[in-house]
Amino acid sequence: MRSDVAAQNTLVIVLGGGQGERLYPLTRDRTKPAVPFGGPYRIIDFTLSNCMNSGLRRVYVLTQYKSISLDRHLRLTWSCYHEELGEFVVSVPPQQRMGERWYLGTADAIFQNVYTLEQERPALVMILAGDHVYKMNYLDMIRFHSESEAEITVACSNVGIEEGRRFGVMEVDADNRIVAFEEKPGTPKALPGAPDRCLGSMGIYVFNTKTLVQLVSEDAKQDTSHDFGRDILPKVFARRRCYAFPFLAGREHSSYWRDIGTLDAFWQANMDLLGAPPKFDLFDPNWPTRTYHQQQPPAKVTFDEESELSGDVTNSIVSHGCVLSGCRVRDAVFSPGVRVAAEAEVVESVLMNGVSVGRGARVRRAIVDKHVHIPAGATLGIDHEKDKRNFKVTENGAVVVPKGIPSDPGFWGVGT
Amino acid sequence: MTTVLLVEDDPNQLLLYTEMLKGEGYDVSGAKDGREALRMVEESRPDLVVMDISMPGMDGIEAMSRMLSKDHKLPVILNSAYATYKDNFRAWSADAYVVKSSDMAELKETIKRVLAQNSAESGG
Repeated sequence: MRSDVAAQNTLVIVLGGGQGERLYPLTRDRTKPAVPFGGPYRIIDFTLSNCMNSGLRRVYVLTQYKSISLDRHLRLTWSCYHEELGEFVVSVPPQQRMGERWYLGTADAIFQNVYTLEQERPALVMILAGDHVYKMNYLDMIRFHSESEAEITVACSNVGIEEGRRFGVMEVDADNRIVAFEEKPGTPKALPGAPDRCLGSMGIYVFNTKTLVQLVSEDAKQDTSHDFGRDILPKVFARRRCYAFPFLAGREHSSYWRDIGTLDAFWQANMDLLGAPPKFDLFDPNWPTRTYHQQQPPAKVTFDEESELSGDVTNSIVSHGCVLSGCRVRDAVFSPGVRVAAEAEVVESVLMNGVSVGRGARVRRAIVDKHVHIPAGATLGIDHEKDKRNFKVTENGAVVVPKGIPSDPGFWGVGT
Repeated sequence: MTTVLLVEDDPNQLLLYTEMLKGEGYDVSGAKDGREALRMVEESRPDLVVMDISMPGMDGIEAMSRMLSKDHKLPVILNSAYATYKDNFRAWSADAYVVKSSDMAELKETIKRVLAQNSAESGG
């Protein structure tokens, strides 16, 4: 199949509905794919940019929990496609045509949207997660799927054995046909010749549409958790043509791939954007990442007259609308509109839109949600025992400040 | 006795199928459209539903979807004069699809097969 024809015959479904409990409190008011990331972006922008850069322009995003923020972001950022040309990124809330309930699992999400597939009748359906950060040309995978005459293709990544316990782990033959598949195995099967590595499913699938509908319709009649990795793939790999597409095959982009499953993974993935060269490059002209840019003035670093300090900003991402005044900033990721006052210090931290850090405040290894005001002289990430009284502190020692926290100095233990 | 709910808007066909299935030893009840069928399934769950598709009011595919959304294990056979709907993805939720014919052997066989399958799956 020619690439453009393959792209036109493929419908993308992005699963955007996860509760994201492990990202709480960042997911208290929004679904995981809508969590701000890397400055101006939301997590889902990376998957949708991959679609755009791969030429896949028929995209449904299935939403459910707390989807207002995601819906708004999709409307503002991704309504650039032309419906008249058959291109779209559309958010689909649960239609409840096949069940008066929310989605039970990934396969159930597709089953409940069989009507949509009936309307579109694509040859192939590509199923993607809305909470991964990576660059991938999906057309390579679609081509591989067609060339292998596969019914199901699962993207896989070479992961460490320990890590493999969190994934679906597969074994393949010389043609990459899947010969074994186990979801979250206790002892993942190692790759031949690499006893410490295994093939982990990335939760990215290409299905022949008819195969997909048959499988989810069959699964809907069973008492399962209705999940592709847990219930369908282990059952069908032997009787269907299931292939594994190696994520690293013929890569022109980096092998970077992260599932933003936990607060520590979120923090680390933000840090991975920093440095030169970074682990994940946002400045790649061949693979642009699209997002919504609100009208804001440019970022500004100023000299503070009172303290006679100039800003010292190193190894950081500073979005538009930020004002950094006579402060010290290192290894930080700032979303638009962040303000840091003089004599303040922000290190190894992720500050979301509109956060302000008062004079002399010290912030270390923190994730601060939108519009939080950290008052002058306050500290965060310096004394974890104190932080734990008000905030969540992760296993790796990142302090997470949710939205709506009071800015009273008393709350922050300033001047007490 | 095994209970079968027949959903069929044509009264003559409803009568014909009812007699045929009674002859096979089933306890048969009839509904004239999707809505009535939904009500009847709620009142008393049959062992199997044989559902026409093209009916006034609520069609058979819609009625089946609603039944399955409440009881995903309810066996349903779609029984239509047209093969067209076979290709409709929503029809694939049915346990089987039979195109109506004057020879009822296929429907009889399909009913037996679906009942046997479901009884095997439920361990009964």
